[in-house]
Amino acid sequence: MADEFAKGFTIFISAGLAWMTLAGWYNTPSFEGTQLLAPNPTSGLTVYTQVGLVVKEAMLWFAVLGFLTFVVVIPIARKARDAYTGTPEIPE
Amino acid sequence: MSDTNDDKDVAADGTGIVAPDDETPTWRERKERTEGLSRLTYEYFERARREDQDLRIESDYVERDVLAFPTWPHEMVRNLALTSFFVGMIIFLAAALPPHIGAPANSTQTPAVILPDWYLYWSFGLLKLGPLNPELSLLGGSKLMADRAYGVVANIVVVGFISIVPFLNKGAARRPVEQPFWAALGVGGVVFAFTISALAVKNLISMSSTLLFDLAFLLPIAATCISYAVLKSMREGYMFELNRRYYRLRPPK
Repeated sequence: MADEFAKGFTIFISAGLAWMTLAGWYNTPSFEGTQLLAPNPTSGLTVYTQVGLVVKEAMLWFAVLGFLTFVVVIPIARKARDAYTGTPEIPE
Repeated sequence: MSDTNDDKDVAADGTGIVAPDDETPTWRERKERTEGLSRLTYEYFERARREDQDLRIESDYVERDVLAFPTWPHEMVRNLALTSFFVGMIIFLAAALPPHIGAPANSTQTPAVILPDWYLYWSFGLLKLGPLNPELSLLGGSKLMADRAYGVVANIVVVGFISIVPFLNKGAARRPVEQPFWAALGVGGVVFAFTISALAVKNLISMSSTLLFDLAFLLPIAATCISYAVLKSMREGYMFELNRRYYRLRPPK
């Protein structure tokens, strides 16, 4: 379980850092105003900006879903499989 | 060797039924290990010990009678890894998200919001304890000292109390369950640090000012009581008495 947690946590912080960086570039109009969560820019989009916005969304969902997968889904699946096969959690 | 001989040996030893040394589990400990969490804990540590033993037998590491790992490479590898991580993070953030540098301060104009740095909010909040400054009837309803002087005295009192805490309890306890009262007091202090900080910026908090003032003192008390109750009830699961015995056995430095 600890290994799965480390994987999920690594995904969360790595993808979260990438999301934070891209959101800092494209979704932070000013330091004083809304940071990271401002609406996407609509005018004057270069190809790099468009790619960056797509990658930003991908990183956000990768952080959330990757963390949930490794920390919630996989442990639940293992527990369910153990319960189904009747394997005790602590072998005698 | 017969049973009677055994009894005689034990009796001659003068120890009665007490286990001869600290390694031997008492009957109570054996009973405690047979079920539930204590059984789980016992099996966990037993398995960890066994794995440790197997690894030690397998490895070609020369076991020496040392008090710690050598600094090189063991400690340095870890320290360099941590240092590299944080230096890399600083370089990355400085390059990718350079901080905003605001306009230079205008020395001819008082800023709209005057606040200390966030880590001094608690001290700033202690300056706003005017409602606690009593109006003494002896002085004809006037206050003994001005509210601002009262706030300074409150700072002295709080800092003074924090500085004497290490002298109030110097026990060997390392876990909160062993000292529920002092741990709960610490929790209350931490919560008070946050609530008094919130009081310092009460203009920015959308809550009734009087309610915030009351909560600043009631929340720490509530947190203290709750954590005391929780820690007190957690003692059962941690085999508190048994562990305390081990802690008492630990030799002083």
